[in-house]
Amino acid sequence: MTTIRKHTAAVPLPDGAQLHATVEGHDDAPVTLALAHGWTLSQAAWDDVALLLRPHVAAGELRLVRYDQRGHGRSTWGRYADDVAELSIDQLGADLGELLDHVAPTGPVVLGGHSMGGMTIMCLAAARPELFGDRVRGTALVATSAGDLAPRGETLLERLQLRLAPGTVTAAIGAARVLEGIRQALPPSSRRHQKIVRDLLYGADATDEMVLTGAEIMHATTVRAFAAFYPALGEHDKREELSALREVPVEILVGDSDKLTPERHSRQLAEQLPGARLAVVERTGHMLPQERAELAVAALTRLVGEAAADRAAA
Amino acid sequence: MTSTLETQLAPPPGAVREVKIAIIGSGFAGIGMAVALRERGEQDFVLLERAADVGGTWRDNTYPGAACDVQSNLYSFSFAPNPEWPRSYSGQPEIQAYLRGVADRFDVRRHCVFGADVLDARWDDAARRWQVRTTAGTFRAQVLVSAAGALADPTYPDIPGLDGFEGTVMHSARWDHDHDLTGEAVAVIGTGASAIQVVPAIQPVVGSLAVYQRTPAWVVPRTDRPVPRWRQRLYRAVPGLQKAIRGLLYLVREFLVLGMAKNRLFLRPVGKLARAHLHRQVRDPKLRKGLTPDYTIGCKRILISNDYFPAVAAPNAELVTAGIAEVRARSIVDRDGIERPTGTIVLATGFHVTDLPIAEKICGRDGRSLAQVWDDGMVTNRGSTVAGFPNLFLLVGPNVGVGHTSMVYMIESQVAYVDSALQAMAAEGLETLETTPAAQQAYRELIARKSKGTVWLAGGCASWYLDRHGHNTTLWPDFTFRFRRLTRTLDRENYVGAPARTSEVAA
Repeated sequence: MTTIRKHTAAVPLPDGAQLHATVEGHDDAPVTLALAHGWTLSQAAWDDVALLLRPHVAAGELRLVRYDQRGHGRSTWGRYADDVAELSIDQLGADLGELLDHVAPTGPVVLGGHSMGGMTIMCLAAARPELFGDRVRGTALVATSAGDLAPRGETLLERLQLRLAPGTVTAAIGAARVLEGIRQALPPSSRRHQKIVRDLLYGADATDEMVLTGAEIMHATTVRAFAAFYPALGEHDKREELSALREVPVEILVGDSDKLTPERHSRQLAEQLPGARLAVVERTGHMLPQERAELAVAALTRLVGEAAADRAAA
Repeated sequence: MTSTLETQLAPPPGAVREVKIAIIGSGFAGIGMAVALRERGEQDFVLLERAADVGGTWRDNTYPGAACDVQSNLYSFSFAPNPEWPRSYSGQPEIQAYLRGVADRFDVRRHCVFGADVLDARWDDAARRWQVRTTAGTFRAQVLVSAAGALADPTYPDIPGLDGFEGTVMHSARWDHDHDLTGEAVAVIGTGASAIQVVPAIQPVVGSLAVYQRTPAWVVPRTDRPVPRWRQRLYRAVPGLQKAIRGLLYLVREFLVLGMAKNRLFLRPVGKLARAHLHRQVRDPKLRKGLTPDYTIGCKRILISNDYFPAVAAPNAELVTAGIAEVRARSIVDRDGIERPTGTIVLATGFHVTDLPIAEKICGRDGRSLAQVWDDGMVTNRGSTVAGFPNLFLLVGPNVGVGHTSMVYMIESQVAYVDSALQAMAAEGLETLETTPAAQQAYRELIARKSKGTVWLAGGCASWYLDRHGHNTTLWPDFTFRFRRLTRTLDRENYVGAPARTSEVAA
């Protein structure tokens, strides 16, 4: 029987936090692909992608690493257990670096990040640029942003939001209220819960099953994670620190109906990273890895293929 | 280790030692029987113990986290209350220390033959004696009491490739404390009462933990607390208080019988409690689904734990529900084709309960073993005696098990019954006593009638309570005080006895 090797690892971080990571594939695979999930999600958000990648893993083309970000899923809070005031996306970038040092200490690596996971990769690139080009050989940035997520104050509502909550994410302000509300009153299985989630996060072609799965994953996230990372997202700004990403092939994907990180954020990224390939996907919302798993997989396997070819050439 | 006493007890090589009563085992049942005999001045008996110490199940199950699911105030002998219990639910070391203490206090050790593993026990009908061959010599006894227990012999699962595994394999009941699990990839197979205790105990030290689950268990919160010093002092000063608490605990637990054996509606609140416990402790929807049973609570043993779910949901843990396809030299492959590198396999796979190994060793009048006689299912009178096996008494025999309350209560009930039988024999001058097939049949029907409609048969699960024919041959399917009433004194009408052949033997 052909099998896929899999193991669970609790990656220890310097501050005592533990990251819950799932590693599939052989240790001697030519490339390691590490996927970082978004805000209030968990590694389960990559399940559809992982399923499609399975034949590639089984064929020995790559090793797949999924992990729960700090404070999400099974991963712990570490030094932020009591106080989240200093929590930033930079911390998540540092965590990703530790994860790589631990589960992929050698060999080429491709990184994929969705939403906050994409910002995580940008933070790693800003903090440890030497990794890019050397260890990191490709990056997929899915439905994400380099910054400027704060409201612009163009409408009356936006100006109001700016006054009330400076430096926070426009869409998330609405989302916060809504998510809190439905968490109290409605389980993910309820119609209204799913409608709210669908309207906020999904495009026109998303199936009910996708929406339910996504709603359940988010429902499993603590209110604490929701609240703690909310200001951190607003403060995220790496627009001037993306140079390390110019060293590697980059795939940028975004849905045209994305309300959390609208298309313009990905276009800005593409401007900053002239070599990047940008795909704006029609009728698709913020949950692109779920809604268009096959497109995400195509982009990721392209990067893996390039990284493997690099290695063969080297 | 053998003491001088034991050397005196064991027969010299080749010789046969005559005793009036031979008891197999020195756990709760063996010690309880021994104390009862001594209390009325009976000294001519031995306890045949295969290990080097008393304690039985509580001596053998030393795995990390081993503890009792019943409060110690209830899970202890009525004649030996212990004001010193450190916690409301005690761990294995405390219970084992308690058993050793009771054995010392009632001078049971002087009757113990350690290292005496019973090879076989045959009824010699001509001599009217049990011939018991052990690894410490042969004994001839008028009466044989099997106190071998139901959780004595570990079962090893039949998994392809397990023999070829190159890492460490250990059963939870045979824990190897010299083997360090720190940083290892550990697989725990099974999710029963042992697994649920060992998993949270080892999860913090192992590198990664894969829990292989066939059927999830219903788990309710464990209300375990340290017993404060003032309360221990109070128990010492006012023994009646501890007795009253014991009674209260007994009563509360007996209410579960209403739901399990009488009307399953009464189990609903327990089911709700278990569901809420799972929801509170596990957020991950997939994991929660994997841990949610699809059968009525109570059908399998209800487990109690506050740290099992958090351990399975820990960053280094994984619940595997796909089933095991095979074990390879350094890994386990599940039915989804996922291969997990594994350093140590912990088998938390339970015990031979419906196929008691001791039953293969005890042979009755016609030479057939209990196992052979029980091929169609275990039958007894009152869980204690079997037609065709004169002067044999079983403690913790068929249909004496309980999942909801203290096994010690059942053991003490049976001990009283056996003692009543022995006293009746003495009073009537009987050399043998044997139950009738009719009594056995009637008892079997009683059990079947009581079991009908209970959650164990109708709850939609397969459990170790049922034998391979689907009959309940392990659990007492009613209130336990009814069992006590049934076994208070010998039901003499269900027995035939043979008087001693020479008048002087009758004394």
